[in-house]
Amino acid sequence: MLKAIKPKMSTVVALLFIPVVWYVFSVFVPLITALFYSFYEWKGGPSKTFTGFANYSKLIHDATFWQSVGHNLFIVVVCIIGQVGIAFILVLMVQSRLAKCKGIHRTFGFFPSTISAVYIGLIWTMIFDYKRGILNYILRATGHGDTVKVWLNEPSKVLAFVSIPLVWQFIGYYMVILFAAIAAVDKEIFEVAELDGASAFQRAVHIVLPLIKPMILVCLTLCVSGNMKVFDHIYTMTEGGPGTASMVMALYGYKVSFEQSNMGYGSAISVGIFIISLVVIQGSRALVNYLMKDKGVE
Amino acid sequence: MKKKVLSCVLASSMVAGILAGCGSSSSDTAATQAPAAAATEAAAEAATEAATEAATEAATEAAADGELAYKGTLNLMHYSTSEESEGNGGSDGFRTMIQNWQDAHPDIDLEQNVLANDEYKTQIATMAAADDLPDVFLLQGMNTKSWAAQGLILDMTDIIKDSPYYADYNQDYFTPFKDGDKLYGLPVLTGGTCTVVIYDKAAWKDAGFDKFPSTWEDVKKADEYFKANGYDGTIAFGNGGQWQANSDFLSTIGDRYTGKDWFQSIIDGSGAAFTDDEFVKALQFTADIFQSGIFNPDYNDVTNEDAREYFIAGEYPAFIGGNWDESYIAATLKEDDEEAYNNLGFAVLPQPADATQDPDSQNIGLGYAMAINSKVADDPDKLAAAVDFCYYVTGPDFANYVATNYALGGLTKVADVDLSSFSQVDQDFYDYSYVSTTPCEIYDSYVDPAVWSVCNTELQSLMNGDGDAKTVAADIQKAYEENYLSKLK
Repeated sequence: MLKAIKPKMSTVVALLFIPVVWYVFSVFVPLITALFYSFYEWKGGPSKTFTGFANYSKLIHDATFWQSVGHNLFIVVVCIIGQVGIAFILVLMVQSRLAKCKGIHRTFGFFPSTISAVYIGLIWTMIFDYKRGILNYILRATGHGDTVKVWLNEPSKVLAFVSIPLVWQFIGYYMVILFAAIAAVDKEIFEVAELDGASAFQRAVHIVLPLIKPMILVCLTLCVSGNMKVFDHIYTMTEGGPGTASMVMALYGYKVSFEQSNMGYGSAISVGIFIISLVVIQGSRALVNYLMKDKGVE
Repeated sequence: MKKKVLSCVLASSMVAGILAGCGSSSSDTAATQAPAAAATEAAAEAATEAATEAATEAATEAAADGELAYKGTLNLMHYSTSEESEGNGGSDGFRTMIQNWQDAHPDIDLEQNVLANDEYKTQIATMAAADDLPDVFLLQGMNTKSWAAQGLILDMTDIIKDSPYYADYNQDYFTPFKDGDKLYGLPVLTGGTCTVVIYDKAAWKDAGFDKFPSTWEDVKKADEYFKANGYDGTIAFGNGGQWQANSDFLSTIGDRYTGKDWFQSIIDGSGAAFTDDEFVKALQFTADIFQSGIFNPDYNDVTNEDAREYFIAGEYPAFIGGNWDESYIAATLKEDDEEAYNNLGFAVLPQPADATQDPDSQNIGLGYAMAINSKVADDPDKLAAAVDFCYYVTGPDFANYVATNYALGGLTKVADVDLSSFSQVDQDFYDYSYVSTTPCEIYDSYVDPAVWSVCNTELQSLMNGDGDAKTVAADIQKAYEENYLSKLK
């Protein structure tokens, strides 16, 4: 029976080949073509001028690009603490014996992750809105009218404000991953620790965290890579403004490529984003490994 | 056996690929190194040009006669969506003309790709980058020079001069679509102002002004009155998209300081610079007036769509925007609040105290033109169809339609527009747009998108009080030199 439905080896290979080809064309080909175009001055269209490393030299001296890199790193740090950190605490709270309606918490916690980033951006734009936003409404209603601000037009704080929707949207996503990780750990370990008198904090730091370390690493990698390419929330909320106060790398690459029709330099920015993201992701993994080792945990 | 065949096929395709690669690179090298080869290439180029010219001439004749031999598909890309056409004369007129032309030419399959304006701009830039433009499309003025240099768009100089409607064309509208003495498009849609002060006449009368003030000092005085009488402020403005402060404000204020010759010199690359004192003053004035408190505090956060709602809701007695805002405000108030509609007034921007040029100027023009993909010239019959289409949608039928239904003007002049059947508001806006004001250029219809991207981004910071006008001017100048001046022949 089994033999009858087992496909031929060649069919299996052929079927597996399709996603591989798809992956190569959607990931590697654009990457290689971007690398190729980055050596040209290309305003779009058929004619390009080879300029060698001129675009990269410009990139190294481009203050807006490095400002964007700084903004991305800021968002990464906020999101590691906000998304993974808060998700970890919430998971422990929901997992505790005292929590009720665990299914509801899981479902509703995950809910924002299913909404399109553009909608999230629009929802939070409305929350922050100066005249009709709920934030300023509450401030006015509670007699704090003098603290009302145009929140998304505060150059020094706008980056923190645009990070809030990012954190809010993805907490549920990391909660699901961490739920699965904790569910895989033997329950007896927690019970024994509790009997031995370990506090909730001690159990979280010395038992849960080391046991789910591989999953934490996965979460960190996802969080860092996701936030190094953050684009849509910020595009919807501020378009990188005021000025370049909330500009991030992907948005800058987009603006240079499509608003300024400077495809060659835009490609160089893409390659720059790729390299910086690789360095940051590998760096963060190495850092976590180092910190965990320091605690005597493998 | 199978393997052998396969390996033969693969090997030969590799060799073909290598040879093709060699072929193109060797011809490139030959053209640059050997004068003889260069001469051959020049001759070939001249022959191609002559062939294109002949095709253009034949197509123009066929189009002028109205006899089209072409039977097939003609791709058209534009941004007049059905949503936009509601209440928008240019858009409605354009869609009507497309339908008329399609009905008159049932053998031609007009394949339309219609996107909202923002998406259209991104999509058309991407298609230009991939050298994959549609047959006929809307060209934005600031892309003319670079796309012409790339050979993406057809030189329409002769097509335009041979047009049956040439004598009636408003020649000023062609300027953004010129490169040297060559023309690359037939300006389309309606000539609309990008800067108009729309105000509530009754509210300003109460504040002691029979018409909108002609100086900013008076606006500041009125601001005190309005804030004391229940208004949130005096003028609503939205620069959340970063382009509005340039298109709907700086472009006109700049003209008040620099005059028209300065911007013409910027376009020609003949000496004027963004770092010139007068332009720096215009930047500084823009920054100062936005921080003076007469505008809504969230001007850098909300878009023009949000800000005009403040005006419609009666929270602000004036609004600054473009003709697209006027058509929305007028249509909304006409439906919801007849009295407010009848109180609509239109004025030019007040004159800054230290500005010395024309105080009645407002930037008006046609931002887009019908352009034809240069590849269409390969098929003379198709080109004839494309030319005929461009003539028709920019010709007298369109101009009459928008004049009769919306009191608006297009590329083709209409003699004696009868305005008597229109409301006073429509007549006033017609008067503002075409009669009682002086036209000046729309900055971002010219030069290069990279220049305005830098300008718009930094201007937004400057309006917040961050940075200084001289540095912003220097950055704009740098982008201008790198992206525009260096490419001028």
